Amino acid sequence: MATLTSKRFSVQDESDAIELAFTRGWSDGLPVVPPTETRVRAMLEAARLEPGHQLAFIRDRAVAVTAEKVAINAVMAGCRPEYMPVVVAAVEAIGDPRWSYHGPGTSTGGAGVLVIVNGPVARELEINSGDNLFGPGWRSNLTIGRALRLVMRNVCGSLPGLLDRGTLGHPGRLSYVIAENEAESPWTPLHVERGFRPEQSVVTVVASDAPHQFYNQLSPDAEGIVTTLADDMRISGTVMGQSTYVVVLAGEHMRTIAADGWDKKRIRQFLFEHTQNSYAHLKRTHRMSGEIAPGDEQRMRPLVASPDDVVVVAAGGRAGAFSCYIPGWGSAKSSQAVSKEVKR
Amino acid sequence: MIEILDPTTEAAAPQSIAWAPRPTALDGKRVALIENTKFNSDQLLARIGDILKSEYGVAGWTMYRKHNASVPAHAEIIEEVKTSADVMVAGIGD
Repeated sequence: MATLTSKRFSVQDESDAIELAFTRGWSDGLPVVPPTETRVRAMLEAARLEPGHQLAFIRDRAVAVTAEKVAINAVMAGCRPEYMPVVVAAVEAIGDPRWSYHGPGTSTGGAGVLVIVNGPVARELEINSGDNLFGPGWRSNLTIGRALRLVMRNVCGSLPGLLDRGTLGHPGRLSYVIAENEAESPWTPLHVERGFRPEQSVVTVVASDAPHQFYNQLSPDAEGIVTTLADDMRISGTVMGQSTYVVVLAGEHMRTIAADGWDKKRIRQFLFEHTQNSYAHLKRTHRMSGEIAPGDEQRMRPLVASPDDVVVVAAGGRAGAFSCYIPGWGSAKSSQAVSKEVKR
Repeated sequence: MIEILDPTTEAAAPQSIAWAPRPTALDGKRVALIENTKFNSDQLLARIGDILKSEYGVAGWTMYRKHNASVPAHAEIIEEVKTSADVMVAGIGD
């Protein structure tokens, strides 16, 4: 493997290295694993990448993201070397022009990068798709997402207050990684819907708000549950933006909806039709500009531009009548969900 | 002693775009205003265009609307502005 070219800093011990990362502004606010050459090389070897290999080019910032820098940040985040191919795929995804880095990476909207992992790698790396889905407890979920955020901060320049202008941000901006529960899901996995083969491992990135949980313990059928979901979703996100939405259906809801014979396509279509708002309501509540005009009570604006902008994922704990939806950042035109294969 | 590696971008990527020469005065220049689609941005830019006309003597201004606020001006705008304008005003605001 070629020489690592990053600048080197000498410190007394690991504890001083952790402090140096804080003082130089390399950390997200939590201690980091010191990125020694041995650790960085193990990361590169696990992904079979040369240090100078360019993984992404962030056009609007004229930043080249090399494998060496991604490996350094993955070490700092606490990744095991075998996580590196997943981090690499996620970096390639946010560097894709369709994701349009500069918008969601900078905006006052304060989006996180939701990373959804599908395929065998999710099971091999024990990426959580079940209980406490977004919560703590899984090294792979937490450190893969953290590595991606550290790359955004340290390599792409998304520094809070400078080129990261999130007004509020959200906790998912520390790390925001889930896997789809393919083992228990009755539905076509997300990556297969998006054109990959079932045996491929894939990450899908979506510029996203925080998860919004909803509750329905009453309905014995699909329509009841998705009616509650649609009612919760109708006024959410920027409302007018027509972003991507991710809908995460957890165990109880997943089983009830599937038992009723609904597939993901039918869920998407129902949500598209039942999350629309009248122009009159949008104007009365100051989300749409202008005075209420004749016909505005009947004229409807869809929450999403197309049913295909609703990404349905089966994941979450087996017990509990909860699921969630996640409004995307801005509009789907400004930043699309992007999927990349995990190359191993 | 241990040695650790810098996780940040240390050198900017080579600049592949040459800057257009800057005009020394605005008299008689044609101005392109790049509107980012955000509410009232067109009104703000029109005001700027009018001030450039009344106080700096530009020949006139034309407004162009981007597809949306979060992306650079699209190719058609860039192509047209290259021939129809001498200077442009672009920005982003919330």
